[in-house]
Amino acid sequence: MMEQPLLSVRHLSIGLSRQGTQLPVLNDVSFDVAPGEVLGVVGESGAGKSVAGAAIIDLLVPPLRRTAGEIALRGDRLDLMSPRQMHRVRGKRVGFIFQDPMTSLNPVLSIGKQLKDTMRTHLRLGSSELHGRALDWVTRVGLPNPERILKAAPHELSGGQRQRIVIALALCAEPEIVIADEPTTALDVSVQAQMLDLMRLLHKETGTAMVLITHDLGVVAKMADRVAVFYAGRLIEIASTRALFQSPRHPYTAGLIGATPAPDGQGGMQVVAIPGAMPGVDALPPGCAFHPRCPRAQADCRTVVPPLVVLGTGEAACLHPLPERTAA
Amino acid sequence: MILHFVERVLQTILVLLVISFVAFMLISTLGDPLGVLLPPDATIAERNALIARLNLDQPLLQRFWSFVMGILQGDFGLSYRTQQDVGAMIAERLPATVELAFVSLLITIVLAIPAGILCGVKPKTLVSRAIMLVSIAGITLPNFVIGILLIAVFSVHLGWFPSFGRGTVVELGNWTTGLLTVSGWQAIILPAFTLASFQMTFVIRMLRTQLMEVGHSEHIRFARARGLSETRVWFVYAIRNALLPTVTMLGLQLGNIIAFSVVTESVFAWPGLGSLFLQSVQSADIPVIAIYLIFVGAVYMLINLAVELSYPLIDPRLKRRSA
Repeated sequence: MMEQPLLSVRHLSIGLSRQGTQLPVLNDVSFDVAPGEVLGVVGESGAGKSVAGAAIIDLLVPPLRRTAGEIALRGDRLDLMSPRQMHRVRGKRVGFIFQDPMTSLNPVLSIGKQLKDTMRTHLRLGSSELHGRALDWVTRVGLPNPERILKAAPHELSGGQRQRIVIALALCAEPEIVIADEPTTALDVSVQAQMLDLMRLLHKETGTAMVLITHDLGVVAKMADRVAVFYAGRLIEIASTRALFQSPRHPYTAGLIGATPAPDGQGGMQVVAIPGAMPGVDALPPGCAFHPRCPRAQADCRTVVPPLVVLGTGEAACLHPLPERTAA
Repeated sequence: MILHFVERVLQTILVLLVISFVAFMLISTLGDPLGVLLPPDATIAERNALIARLNLDQPLLQRFWSFVMGILQGDFGLSYRTQQDVGAMIAERLPATVELAFVSLLITIVLAIPAGILCGVKPKTLVSRAIMLVSIAGITLPNFVIGILLIAVFSVHLGWFPSFGRGTVVELGNWTTGLLTVSGWQAIILPAFTLASFQMTFVIRMLRTQLMEVGHSEHIRFARARGLSETRVWFVYAIRNALLPTVTMLGLQLGNIIAFSVVTESVFAWPGLGSLFLQSVQSADIPVIAIYLIFVGAVYMLINLAVELSYPLIDPRLKRRSA
């Protein structure tokens, strides 16, 4: 293991109560984030990656509910905290970047008000100091004319500008770790690249650790130190970014990488799709949830749920993992 | 913004002209003013003088023109019933109705807005459920039933408040007010509450629905994710979003209060415009009815205009670029 983890998630399970029954949305997921590290969390929609992020700061919306698990931030157990204590963690110790800049800013309050309210909640600052910091943050996220931006209402800004404000809002109380839930998904491709550059720059400046939730392997490859792959509510592989891309051990990870468009060397693009679709939480097959789509599935895959085991430098949950591929 | 303002004012004027025309047609086609106004033994000279005074010898459109001009100069015509100037009759009754509307709006704001917020923020508590249940009564029971019930309980049984009239009033120039005396306040509570009951229900339900909807929005979740306190999240971040439709409602309702206080005023024998209107209907006093119609239309339109022009103060998205 590495040094003392900043964030430690152990055996986290999340259920969806529906008509008295609990559907497991996330099943026994454990991972660590080291100080200053960027952990990429990838998976398809519905794999459980976003609820895992929301569960860390107790932001699940009923009927979703954390059913088990321990969450510790520098040893402080977030899962045992009262709502009052949790308010001091949110924003102050754990920042959260929301997905859709069009809906995540309050439409009737000015940018400056939202920024200053957030800082005032967590930092002891006078009003002129607050104003100065707000101006400073607008500049740091790369927006021109900060005085004007602070007075502006969200609708006066473009999608990319709003996402920069969302990032400033998440970072302005200087959290120890930031959870970014699909921070680029709702943006134009050209803006996406700018946003990633900005996040990388701010990450370097502040040294804040980050959990980057995305379905885009390209984003992960650019940003993350390590990658966790989610499938149907389970963590199925976690490894350093380099190892994961070079030698994925879980067939699903390999399929995911294969499904990313890559130049085929003859001027075209090659995409190999994984056949079938991820099962919903209400229709999980027994055994390994991936076996119906898996080219390597064998009889035991249909009955045994594979545990996460150490494989080489990473961990994977597969009974018949792919052999390690070394750099040729 | 300025263009928008001018446009809306012109619209208002146009609608008022249409209302005036309808009212004017009422006056000029219903009944015989000469028969009503002149004594049976009037001379021809008196008769001709009245015809000239009422402009009855002129073509219709010209009469409409002088009717509108007269209104603009404060000449509202003569009542068939009392032969008084209609303007003076309305001016005498106006303070009672305006004060009634004002106090009932006050009651609505003081009671219904906090109740609506409570029901929206904590919809599942016992108090919220009780408020919702009681508020159904505000919609389903007709105004006069509520008024009579209130009289039965608070005037007849408990004897706390008078059942009719305005109490002692004080003259302030042309305005008579009951809001400066204890008996005036005692007298206004029951009718104002009766008048408020309907819109209180609306405000409570409107705020509740709006708040519950806003409470589920992404920006509220994001505000929570930033650690803002629940108080701030609800009372600053959510309320501002829920307020716009509620203010619209309240504005429209204020128009309604003034326009349709007729029933409440008659239950409480309140000496306002509503009871004047009722008396006029009973004695077919067409000019008063017509002027009342125009007056109510004007109040309604002006309040709507004011409400609409206040939107940008609440929601910056509605600010039009002035450039």
